[in-house]
Amino acid sequence: MSPLHLSFYSAFIFSGLGLAFHRTHLVSALLCLESMMLSMFVGLSMWSIENQVSSFTMVPILMLTFSACEAGTGLAILVASTRTHGSDHLHNLNLLQC
Amino acid sequence: MNPYATSIMTFSLILGTTITISSNHWVLAWTGLEINTLAIIPLIAKSHHPRAVEAATKYFLTQAAASALVLFSSMTNAWVTGQWDITQMNHPTSCLLLTAAIAIKLGLVPFHFWFPEVLQGSPLMTALLLSTLMKFPPLTLLLLTSKSLDPALLTAMALASTALGGWMGLNQTQTRKILAFSSISHLGWIAIILVYSPKLALLTFYLYTIMTSAVFLALNKIKALNLSMIMTSWTKTPVLNATLMLVLLSLAGLPPLTGFMPKWLIIQELTKQEMTPAAMAIAMLSLLSLFFYLRLAYHSTITLPPNSSNHMKQWYTSKTPSTPTAVLASLSILLLPLSPMMHAIV
Repeated sequence: MSPLHLSFYSAFIFSGLGLAFHRTHLVSALLCLESMMLSMFVGLSMWSIENQVSSFTMVPILMLTFSACEAGTGLAILVASTRTHGSDHLHNLNLLQC
Repeated sequence: MNPYATSIMTFSLILGTTITISSNHWVLAWTGLEINTLAIIPLIAKSHHPRAVEAATKYFLTQAAASALVLFSSMTNAWVTGQWDITQMNHPTSCLLLTAAIAIKLGLVPFHFWFPEVLQGSPLMTALLLSTLMKFPPLTLLLLTSKSLDPALLTAMALASTALGGWMGLNQTQTRKILAFSSISHLGWIAIILVYSPKLALLTFYLYTIMTSAVFLALNKIKALNLSMIMTSWTKTPVLNATLMLVLLSLAGLPPLTGFMPKWLIIQELTKQEMTPAAMAIAMLSLLSLFFYLRLAYHSTITLPPNSSNHMKQWYTSKTPSTPTAVLASLSILLLPLSPMMHAIV
């Protein structure tokens, strides 16, 4: 595995760990989700550059579009949870426990 | 909800599902999964109740992370093998990551923690969509890659799902959580046979969809959100109550109802594949879920609520029956004699 591949694989894994081990705020979880998408963008762009497949150049942009929609949805959920729960603290989301 | 918004969300759900199940390229499959996730978030949170918003938050975080992991696993496979075809997923690490990602999307153990809470926070019809339609695209991806998946991992997850779905459902009184745990146990049955016979896994999923839809539609008619509301529904819709009992027993897998067909065929196939201890284990573990199905059936149909005899009963209003409920309930009770045809046409 070349150092280039190692860079975006480890970026994805660390952001995934950041999402899994989120502590206080919902915003930090959304940021980790965005950085996962960013590392995927770099990986997909590297594919079309290294393998000289010029028809694949659209795919990183498509992925970025969907991740932008997802970020918008995440922010809407953040606003909704601030309106109903008062803050974006994750330990307030405990109304539905078994 | 605004009819334009509802129609846009419904169309997006159908579009996302169709894109994923008919795709050959991993990026298109990921696109369909994302469209599905985005479309169902407003349907979960539409009542703006704090529980609904919390359910939408938990659903969004888990599903978005799982979609990113699906795309990451396909990208690692592409860097190693040089192609993005869904059926040619050969690299073992990529298959492991893909199995974990789809397990998060479906709600298999040990990634099941979001599922009961999300179902509890969403309205009954959205819970029906979450249990049936949203499971179809990830399951399709598992079916397409089934020949390169790890059987030991899937069997372990399947047995744990059936066990936890049974045990954790025993202490519940809220109907949506009971149905969530029933969904987790049925996913265990689907996952255990996925590697050996994908057609049988698909048949199990179809029958589970029919039975679960019949239960959800019946519960929606009587607006039963917990066990005490089910107990007093016999005065309002007596025929639906009796049918609900039969559909619940069919979900439990009792012959001669339809739910027995997938369990029988799966145990037969597992025994043919020399996996008799696994077959025995999964059959015994589904006895746990039989207990809470029996409790629901008992409280809805076989006993009367603890009222005094001169308690005022609710009027029996003749509500017009809905055709989908009737059709799905009939299918979920009467399809067992057609099992050779069902096994052949799936």
